[in-house]
Amino acid sequence: MYPQMTQIQPLTLIRRNRLLPFPGEVTVRPGQKVNATDVVAQASIPTRHYLVDVRSALGVSTVAAAEKLITRKPGDLLEKNDILAETGGLFSKVIRTPGPGRVISISKARVLIETENETLSLQAGLAGKIHQVIDDRGVSIEAYGALIQGVWGNSRIGFGQLLVDDASLDGELTSSALSLTARGNILIAGYCSSEEMFTAARSAQISGLILGSMPSLLIPTALELSYPVILLTGFGKTGLDEYSRRILVTNAGRDISINAVRWNRLAGDRPEIYIPLPSEGEPYQWENSFSVGQKVRVHSGAYAGRIGRIDELIPGMTQLPNGLRASAARVKFDQRSGAVLPLVNLDVIQIKD
Amino acid sequence: MEENPLQISTVVGLEIGSINTRAFLFDVVEESYRLIASAVTPSTHIEPVFDIGDAIFEVLSRLQDVTGRVFLDHDANLIVPSQPGGEGIDCLVTTTSCVPDLKLAIFGLLNEVSMDSARKLANASYARIVEAISINDHRPYSAQLDAIVAAQPDLILFAGGTDNGANRSLQRIADLISTALRVLPRSNRPPVLFCGNPALADPMRQLFERHTKVRVADNLRPSLQEEVLEPAELELNEMIVEKTYEKVGGLQRIVPLCSISPRLSNHSFHRVIRFLGQKYDPAKGVLGVDIGATYSVASYANRVTSTLNTFHLGMGEGMADVLQGSKIQEISQWLDQPVPEDEVRDYLWQRSLYPNSLASSPLELSIELAAARRILQLIMRELNLRDACPSTRFEPILMSGSVLTRTATPAQSLLAILDGIQPQGISPVILDKHGVAATLGTLAEITPLLSVQVLESSAFTNLATVVNITSRARRGVTVSVARLDYSDGHTAEVEVKQGSIAVLPLPSGSKAQLYLKPVRRTEIEEVDSSAEPVLVNGGVCGVVLDARGRPLKMPADEQHRIALLKEWESLLNHQ
Repeated sequence: MYPQMTQIQPLTLIRRNRLLPFPGEVTVRPGQKVNATDVVAQASIPTRHYLVDVRSALGVSTVAAAEKLITRKPGDLLEKNDILAETGGLFSKVIRTPGPGRVISISKARVLIETENETLSLQAGLAGKIHQVIDDRGVSIEAYGALIQGVWGNSRIGFGQLLVDDASLDGELTSSALSLTARGNILIAGYCSSEEMFTAARSAQISGLILGSMPSLLIPTALELSYPVILLTGFGKTGLDEYSRRILVTNAGRDISINAVRWNRLAGDRPEIYIPLPSEGEPYQWENSFSVGQKVRVHSGAYAGRIGRIDELIPGMTQLPNGLRASAARVKFDQRSGAVLPLVNLDVIQIKD
Repeated sequence: MEENPLQISTVVGLEIGSINTRAFLFDVVEESYRLIASAVTPSTHIEPVFDIGDAIFEVLSRLQDVTGRVFLDHDANLIVPSQPGGEGIDCLVTTTSCVPDLKLAIFGLLNEVSMDSARKLANASYARIVEAISINDHRPYSAQLDAIVAAQPDLILFAGGTDNGANRSLQRIADLISTALRVLPRSNRPPVLFCGNPALADPMRQLFERHTKVRVADNLRPSLQEEVLEPAELELNEMIVEKTYEKVGGLQRIVPLCSISPRLSNHSFHRVIRFLGQKYDPAKGVLGVDIGATYSVASYANRVTSTLNTFHLGMGEGMADVLQGSKIQEISQWLDQPVPEDEVRDYLWQRSLYPNSLASSPLELSIELAAARRILQLIMRELNLRDACPSTRFEPILMSGSVLTRTATPAQSLLAILDGIQPQGISPVILDKHGVAATLGTLAEITPLLSVQVLESSAFTNLATVVNITSRARRGVTVSVARLDYSDGHTAEVEVKQGSIAVLPLPSGSKAQLYLKPVRRTEIEEVDSSAEPVLVNGGVCGVVLDARGRPLKMPADEQHRIALLKEWESLLNHQ
């Protein structure tokens, strides 16, 4: 049974693919250094079209006759008031373009013009080096540094200097963390339980917010924010786990990247924090089974957010306090406390002490 | 045993879900097919493996361990057909609900005709409607085009026109679709299913084939009065399966091993309900509900009609839609202890992040069952709005989904089902304890006898026969006296009080005559229940007389509400 895993690595080799949803243009080259918010690829999506029916607009009797009056061809770029079609003669009737655009197609004397398009810009998501360019689709980026995987993000990307405010680290985000020095930086807090603090953080122009947790009631607010918010343990007031906390505190003052994507197991997207470091590390591994001695973080229930070590894998099925039966492990949190927990409620933490 | 023309004996069914992969072993025991064993393991199409093959190998290995039989050779290949020594299997089928989020654009002519049918088809499927355009849509052509491009559909469903009917209007819509396909990036052009006027099938195929893959199915509306969904439903399902192959690594690799191509779980579940619909009381109808992690399925069938509806509601990824469609009080009202609303909300959102997690305390189990009740309520409300159940009286109700089977007691499952569905009349409630119903639906295509025999076996749990008694009496007033005459001659009697539940014991597999003597004016079925006894089936919770009222209203006072919930569960537990 493959366990659920979370990577909390003080130093590792990170390699991430960044791909456009459809073909576009890759704007970087192999070996190039990029920051988290640098655009690595972009694609154009048409968003607004205009259809001109030449036959009816010019009052021509047949489609064939109308088509002869069209002065443009597919692919032509148009400015506002350019002539699209004209009858000619002394009292020529003309059709002009309503605005700038490009002729997409002409069919049955109808001219389809793309008048607006949106550029989809794909950001790097982490600071590193372009490892590989995937033609028309995106890149693979490589970096050495610390990696902390989260569980929820508000779909924003950001980077900045990591600012540690001791008052917020083990508890709620406080206004003391939002001082003048917060501007352009990334803050950490155990949790944030008020909409006002999110708003105050926006006013303080922070570049990102790392939280252990937040009440789920604040999801709509967090989704509206312009800066990235990443949760490391989930919803509620569980705060930061000790390992993530330790890595973050150790790297205070460094430039870090937050890729606060929504967790999508099918696509392999996960909210993550990257801290580029000058040393080189080994790639991290995935475990394919539970084993005694593994570090685990409990992700639900009364022990949610706590990190412990598997002391025993209990054979067969274990009856839980609510009467359900499940494969379970005895997890030791410290010398004095532990609990028997279902394996499916444990996240194996990959960390080198 | 009847002669089986296919000579199939050992059968394995795989059910690949978004969270778990299950394997079921069926074989012939004493001249009848039986479910021999099942195994489950987490699905591996997701990170870090991205290949469902690992889960299939694991679950088949577990099935070997449990049964002591051999299905895989030394190279881990499945042995098909079975060997004289007993190794291997004769038949493998796969059913999957592991479908990626698919966006569907529907097109048709009239809202009340082809669009209505297209919507039914879409509602039955795992896909989500993101754009709907008919000739009743008065947006300018360019705005319609922009809307399609913005929606970026994964699939297009195009209906409209009766047989040899409308032509020009359909061509206008076809032109719009064709233009949209041209504008969309080549790699993202959705395939088109045309199920309209068959006279236009060839021109439509030629028009769209320049841009994308095209399928043609029989007309959804051959005439204004007639609706034929099934051929188009099959084609749409195949399109969904093809999209699933693109996203679920390793799924396509197992196709050559299967006796038929993988089937979608919702459709296979519906097949089982349709079969049952032919068998039971034609005046009622069979209701089947399967609560999954991402999707939930509701199927209704009687001898005349059947409907399938698939909802993006579930205990995992589908929880986000449950929470967004509900006030938290609509969930927390079902908790049998006082819990702050924030705690309930946070627990359920956390569960959406970890869909494989398990309730490990009584409180967590209570929250999950409260959420299951809410899912059932949302489904029943939507079925009502969609006019999907001609009758609100069901015989039987078949329930599936691990949130209902993974409970500590059958009473917990039954109470959640009753609170969520709030059935009327007399309804046997059956629990698909192994989650095997959809697999049986798939197997019915190859070996119907197997499906019939397993459906009638102990693979399913009869929870209870529930009798809903409606009265306007005050809470606590006796509204009826129920008596059960057992086949061995003895009887049991109970008073049914307004606002409460009463239980008469009747074990699974037994039948008894139920007499109901109204004390106050009551309503049970269309029939006069006081005159004639009703033959009822037993269940692990016996015969349950539910006089709590419809719709069931919970008291606003928290203490009173909690006391009631505890009392109801206790009554069901101590039958």
